[in-house]
Amino acid sequence: MSVGCNCQSELVGLRPTRRDWLKNSAIGFGYLAATALLAEKTSGARQAYSNPLSPREPHFAARAKRVVFVFMKGGPSQVDTFDYKPNLQRDDGKECPFEKPRVQFAPTGKLLKSPWKFSQYGETGSYVSELFPNVAKHVDDLCFIHSLHGSNAAHGGALLKMHTGSDNFVRPSLGAWVSYGLGTENDNLPGFVTICPTLAHGGVNNWSSAFLPAVYQGVPLGNASTPSDQARIRYIANEAGTPAAVQRKQLDLLQQFNRRHLEEGALDAALEGRIASFELAFRMQSEMPQVEDLSQETAATRRAYGLDEKVTENFGRQCLLARRFLERGVRFVQVTHSDANVQWDQHSNLREGHTKNALEVDQPIAALLEDLKQRGLLEDTLVIWTGEFGRTPTAQGKDGRDHNPDGFTVWFAGGGTKPGLHYGSTDEYGFYAAENKVHVHDFHATVLALMGLNHEKLTFRHAGRDFRLTDVHGRIVSEVFA
Amino acid sequence: MWIQRWAAGIILLSLAIQLRASEPAAEKIQYFEKHVRPLLLQRCASCHGNEKQEGKLRLDSPEFLLSGGESGDLYLSGQPDSSLLIAAVKRVDASLTMPPEPEKPLSPAEVETLAKWVRDGATLPISSGESVPVDPKRIEEGKNHWAFQTSVRSIVPSDTHDKWSANSIDRFVWTKLKSHGLTPRSEAEKSIWLRRVTLDMVGLPPTVAEIESFLQDNSQDAKSKVVERLLGSPHYGVRWGRHWLDIARYADSNGLDENIAHGNAWRYRDYVVDSWNSDKPYNQFVLEQIAGDLLADQSEPAGPNAERRQREYLIATGFLALGPKVLAEVDKQKMEMDIIDEQLDTIGKSFLGLTLGCARCHDHKFDPISTEDYYGLAGILKSTKTMESYKTIAKWHENSLANETELQRQKDHQQSVDSGKKEIERVRSAAIEELKKSLKLGEELPKDPEPKLPDAIREDLKNKRDQLAKLEASAPELPSAMGVTEGIVADIPVHIRGSHLALGRIVPRGVPAVFVSTQTPRMSKQMSGRESFARWLVEPNNPLTARVIVNRLWRWHFGLGLVASTDNFGLLGDKPSHPELLDWLAVELIENDWSIKHIQRLILLSQTYGQSSQFDSLSAEKDPRNQYLWRYSIRRMEAEVFRDSILAVGGVLDMAKGQSLLHVKNREFLFNHTSIDKTKYDSHLRSIFVPVIRNHLYDVFYLFDYSDAANVNGNRDSTTIAPQALFMLNSGLVHEAAGGLARGLLSGPLVNDGARVDELWRRLYAHPPVSEDREAALTFLKQNAAVDELQRWTWLCQSALASNDFAFVR
Repeated sequence: MSVGCNCQSELVGLRPTRRDWLKNSAIGFGYLAATALLAEKTSGARQAYSNPLSPREPHFAARAKRVVFVFMKGGPSQVDTFDYKPNLQRDDGKECPFEKPRVQFAPTGKLLKSPWKFSQYGETGSYVSELFPNVAKHVDDLCFIHSLHGSNAAHGGALLKMHTGSDNFVRPSLGAWVSYGLGTENDNLPGFVTICPTLAHGGVNNWSSAFLPAVYQGVPLGNASTPSDQARIRYIANEAGTPAAVQRKQLDLLQQFNRRHLEEGALDAALEGRIASFELAFRMQSEMPQVEDLSQETAATRRAYGLDEKVTENFGRQCLLARRFLERGVRFVQVTHSDANVQWDQHSNLREGHTKNALEVDQPIAALLEDLKQRGLLEDTLVIWTGEFGRTPTAQGKDGRDHNPDGFTVWFAGGGTKPGLHYGSTDEYGFYAAENKVHVHDFHATVLALMGLNHEKLTFRHAGRDFRLTDVHGRIVSEVFA
Repeated sequence: MWIQRWAAGIILLSLAIQLRASEPAAEKIQYFEKHVRPLLLQRCASCHGNEKQEGKLRLDSPEFLLSGGESGDLYLSGQPDSSLLIAAVKRVDASLTMPPEPEKPLSPAEVETLAKWVRDGATLPISSGESVPVDPKRIEEGKNHWAFQTSVRSIVPSDTHDKWSANSIDRFVWTKLKSHGLTPRSEAEKSIWLRRVTLDMVGLPPTVAEIESFLQDNSQDAKSKVVERLLGSPHYGVRWGRHWLDIARYADSNGLDENIAHGNAWRYRDYVVDSWNSDKPYNQFVLEQIAGDLLADQSEPAGPNAERRQREYLIATGFLALGPKVLAEVDKQKMEMDIIDEQLDTIGKSFLGLTLGCARCHDHKFDPISTEDYYGLAGILKSTKTMESYKTIAKWHENSLANETELQRQKDHQQSVDSGKKEIERVRSAAIEELKKSLKLGEELPKDPEPKLPDAIREDLKNKRDQLAKLEASAPELPSAMGVTEGIVADIPVHIRGSHLALGRIVPRGVPAVFVSTQTPRMSKQMSGRESFARWLVEPNNPLTARVIVNRLWRWHFGLGLVASTDNFGLLGDKPSHPELLDWLAVELIENDWSIKHIQRLILLSQTYGQSSQFDSLSAEKDPRNQYLWRYSIRRMEAEVFRDSILAVGGVLDMAKGQSLLHVKNREFLFNHTSIDKTKYDSHLRSIFVPVIRNHLYDVFYLFDYSDAANVNGNRDSTTIAPQALFMLNSGLVHEAAGGLARGLLSGPLVNDGARVDELWRRLYAHPPVSEDREAALTFLKQNAAVDELQRWTWLCQSALASNDFAFVR
C-alpha cells in the first residue's frame, strides 16, 4: 500500500473520551508510531489511538468464542416444536384448569392440542415434533431450556427485551455487549453482524450499541424485506462506479492531505483514528465480497443448506453466510427468520403458518449445525435458537395461538453447553415456566458466562452510572454448562 | 452462594406482586394478619424492627417484607423451597440460621406457618396508608451537594493577562489555567476562527465572499460584526434549535414497538427554531414547554398576534408528548406509568440535570431524591392528559390549533357535503318513485333498482356522486399539534418497586424535598400543578435550571461542558471544572432577562474561544482532555453539520424552510411488520427538516452519531468507525456533492488548475493550500489526464471532501 500504512493494530473506531485511551497511551499508536512521523511530538500524554475492537481477554475461561443467534421472529410455539405435552394432546378442547395470565395480548379459549406428531430422537430420546425432522437428527447435540420466560406480551417489548434486556428503554444489544467485552478477531470485518434483521418492533434498537461506543453496534446486511442474496452492508459498493484502482489513488491522495494536516500541529487521536478508518474501510470493501461469494462453497454444501430449493434458499443463504462470518472471526452473528407478516406469529392458521415457517428453516439450521461440527467450530461456537416469546397452549379463535411470554423454549448447541440436556420445564400444558424457571435476564447472564464474561462486571458508565445487560438481575444457569 | 441466587428473585417477586394484586384475597390477608405478622413480631422484630435492623432487614411492617434486606429478597412468592426466609428458619444452611440462637429455633408448626404463607403467594396488606420511610439523613447530606446550592454571582478574578482581561469569561479561564501551570495558545488565524464560528453558529462553512470580507476587515470590531451577523441569521435557529431538539428527544415517529408517524411533530420543531431565532428568554421557553396550554388564555389583547402566540403555547407542550411510547403495551396502567416515567426522566435531565427516573422503583441510590419525591412529581403528570386513548394502538393527545376561520371553513365544508348527499338521495328516491309507478302488476321492485333507472338519471347520479367524493376528499384538515392538556387532578400513591399493582402511601403533588432554596409551589385541587411546577423551575433561586442551560451552551460551543456530564448534575455527575465561572454565567443569564444570545456573544468574543487549536505536548500531559481550555479542542462536525456542509460546498443545498417531509399521514405506520421503510431522504433541505425516524434513523445520521431520539442527549458522542469512511468513499451523496463542486470550479472564471485548487481549498477549508498539498492535487489531476476534466476534478474534489481538514473544526 502506497500510504505506507504498516499498522500493527488495525482499527475500526474510537471514542475520544474512553478512559482506556489514557491507560493505553503507551501502546497502540498504530499509524503514527509505524510511520515514525512526528516521533518527538508524540512522546507526550497525547491521547493515542488504540483499536477498541482488538481482542480482549474474557473475565474467566470462555467456553465459547463466538455466537450465532438464530432468531425466529414472531414467536414460534413451544408446544408444537420442542416442548412435548402429552396432556395437552389428551385434553384438547377442555378448559384450561388454571388461571391465565393477568395481562394477555388477546383473549384465548380452550386448550388446543398440537396438530403435529411428536417422536423421540437420538440416544437421549428427546421429543421433537414433525415440524423439525432435520434439526431432530441433531437433538443429542442440543441443550434445551424449556422454562424460559420474559415479561412482555407484545412483539416490540419482547423483541427488545430478548435483544437488549429492556423493554422500555433503548439499551445496548446482547451482540454489542459481547463485542464490547471481547473485541473481535478479524481486523477487516465488524465484530457484530446481523443478517436481514427486522426493522419492525424496535428495529435498529435490537442491534444498536445505544450508549456503548458505536464501534460495537451491529452492522446490518440488508433487512427483513431484502432477499438474502441482495443483503449488503450499506455503502460497501461504490454508487458512482469509480474503478477500484482510481479509488486507491483517491485514498492515497486523501491520506497525504490527512498526514500533512496532522503534522501541522492539530495532533489528535480522533484525526489519527479517522485516517486509519479509511484504510479499514478499503480493506472491508475488498473482503466483504469474498465473504458473500457463496460460489466458493461446494455444490454439496450449497445443497445441504437448501440453496437449491426455493423454499429454503433465502434462509439457507443467511445460515451459510453466518458460518462464513464465524469462521473469519466475527464475534457475534445474528440471522433472523422474518417476513412481512411477522413470520411465526400464528394468531390463526397455526398449521399452515408453522408448517411453512418450519420448512423454510429446518434444513438450513440442521445444515449449519452439521457444518459447524464438521469444521470443528461447534465446540467453541455458541448456537442459540429462540423467538421473542412462545405461544399459548390455549386456542385463539379456532386454530391459532396467542403470544406467550410466560413459558417457552430456547435451545443452544455447542459453545460449552451440555449436549442432550433438557433443563427446566413448563406446566403440564406448556403455558407457564414451572420448574427451574429461567428469566430472559438469566438467559443473558448465561450467554455472557459461556463467553467468559461476568454479567455483573461487564459494565459501562453512562450518565453517571454503571449499566449492565442484566440491569440488577440475572442468574447464571450453570446447570447447562458442559 | 445463597445470597447470589437471590438477585434473580427480584423479577419473580414483582411477578408475584402482580399475581397477588390481581385478586384481593381477603382471607389470605387475614391469614397474614392472624398468623404471620404476630409470629414475625414475636420472634424476629427484636433484631429486625424499629430499634435494630440487623442485616438491614425489618420485619415489623409489611412493606419492609417487600424490601428484603442486605442478603436480598426475603422470599420467592409461591416457592418456599427457594425462599431465603424459609431456608433461614428451617436452618438448611449453617451459614444462615434464624433466629441465630441454637436453643431457640422456630417450631415445625411455626416454620410451616411461614412456608404456607409463602406457598400461597405471600400476600401482604399493602396500601394501608402507612408511610414508606425516607432517609432524612441522605436528604440532609444531599443539600450540601454543590448543585443544590443557589448560584451567587462569583467575583471575577482580578488577575489579568494581556488580551485575557476584557472579557470576564477569559479572566476565570486564565486564572484556572495559571493555577494548573498552563498557558493558553495564541489567537487562531482569522480564517480558522471564521470557519469555526460559522460552523458553530449556523452549521455551514463560510462562503468565499464571507471569508474575503472578514480577512479584509481590519477594524477592532471585525469579529463582533461577524458574531452579530451570525446571531441574526435565520440559520442560527436551524443550528441551535437542532441542539435543543437533542434535549427534547425530538422525532417524527413513535418508535419502540408500533412505529407510527408523529405527523405534527414538525410544528414543535419549527417552534423551537423560531424560539431560538427570536432569542426567547429561556425562562419563558421552559415555561411554554411544560405549561404552554395553561398560559394560552392569559394576557395579550385579541388579534393575530395573540392568536399566533396562543398557537405557539399549545405547540410548545409537544415537548412532553414527543417521547417514545410502547403503544401496544397490553397492560394499560403500566403504559400510563411508563409514559409518565419517560416524561419525568426527560424533564429531570433536560432542565434540572437530574436522573429522576431512578426513583421510580426505589429511593435514588445516589441523589437525594426519594421515591416520595418521584411520586409527588408523577402526580402532576398523572393529572395531565398526554394520551387520548390507551387502547391498542394507543393514541396520543393533540391540541387543536384551528382558529375561527378554519373552524367555520370546516363547518361550511361539512354543510356542502351534507347537502350534496341530500341532493343525491332526493334525485334517487324521486326516480325510484317514478320507476315504481311504471311497474307492471305483480312485478316487484328489484333489490337494487338503480340499474333500472333511465340512463340520464343514472348519469346524473354518477356525476353527483363523483363530485361528492371529490368534495369529501378535499375536507379541510384542521391543524393540530402534539401536546398535553389538563387531566383529572389527583395525588397518587407510591408504587412499590415501581409496580402499579403494589401501592403504598399517597403522596401530595410537589417538588423534591432537597430543593430548599425555592418556594414550594402550591398545588390546588383544580389544577394539575404543571404551571406552578414550571414557574418553580425558572424561579431565579432554583439552583439548577440556569446552571444546566449555560453549561449546555458551553458544551455545544467547546465540545466539553464545564460540567462534563451535561445531563447529570447529581452526585454521580462530574464536578464542574470551573465552578465560579459556571455560577457567574448562570447569574449573568438570569440578570440579562435569560437571554441565550447574550451569553453566546460573551463566549464567542472571548479569547478562550478565539485561541488556536495547536497541540502542545507539555500542556497535553497536564490536561489531556483540555478541560482547562489551554487550546480550542478539535472536533468532528456533527452529523447534520457534516451533511449540510457537504451539500453546501457542492452547491446543492436547498436553504428553504421545510415543513414535514414524511410520506405518511399523522398516526399512520412508517412501516409495520414489513421492514420496508418508504421514507425518502433525497431531499436537499437542511438536515433539521429531514425526518427523524425512530427505529430506523436515516443512515447518514446514524453513522455520524446523531441523537437517537430515545433520550435527552446534551452530549453527543463523536465516534470514528469504518462505515463512515465507506460513506465518504462510496455514497451517491458525496459523489453528487463532489461533482457539483467540480462543475462549479470548472465553469467559473478561473482558467488554470492551480487557481482552481486554491479556490477549492478556500471553499472547503477557508484557507489556501500549502504548497505540498497543492502539488499533490495537481499531480493527481495530471495522472488522470486521460479521463475527461469533470471526472478527474470530481475525483479530486471527493478526496478533498473526505479529508480531515474538512470533517474537523479546529
